[in-house]
Amino acid sequence: MKNKVRVLRTQRNLAQGQLADAMGVSRQTINSIENDRYTPSLPLAIALARYFGVAVEEMFDDQGL
Amino acid sequence: MIRVCSQQITRSKWFIPGFCLFLGLVVFGASWIGGHPGAGAVSLALMAGFGLLILLAGRSETIRGLRGDGRDERFAQIDLRATAVAGLVLILALIAAWLTQIASGHTGRPYDWLLAVAGLAYIFAVAFFRWRG
Repeated sequence: MKNKVRVLRTQRNLAQGQLADAMGVSRQTINSIENDRYTPSLPLAIALARYFGVAVEEMFDDQGL
Repeated sequence: MIRVCSQQITRSKWFIPGFCLFLGLVVFGASWIGGHPGAGAVSLALMAGFGLLILLAGRSETIRGLRGDGRDERFAQIDLRATAVAGLVLILALIAAWLTQIASGHTGRPYDWLLAVAGLAYIFAVAFFRWRG
């Protein structure tokens, strides 16, 4: 699923590892999400949206569904 | 509480190496009882070596995931898929072995009841997880 995680992360000058630590997942999981290879669970998607202060639907593009 | 504790144990980097060593010791004991202590010692060495490799090769995400301490929701999904593939391969191997036995004029034991166990376990698991929602 396409998403804006990389854009929002780089806007805040965060490394993948820092975001991963904040979310309680591995750096590879953040990398997979950013490269549209892994669709996060609803709790993780909500946690990411809350972390960046945006709505879930702003962060994730469901047009491909 | 029990679930949390068991997750903490299985997510420790010592769990799988410790389990490998334990299994190696069990195999060694069984081989000793069966009169083949040499073969048991080889099995113990192999299992202990594998456990040591898992313990020391923590830089790899795959190893950390296998070990348990690098697991998150994505790896849990990977684990689920890998378990399904392993189960499918095992069932296909059992079917092949069962058919080979039957074609050779044998009864098909023990592959027939192993296949029955696999089939029943699958049906009960489907029913259970459907019931749990």
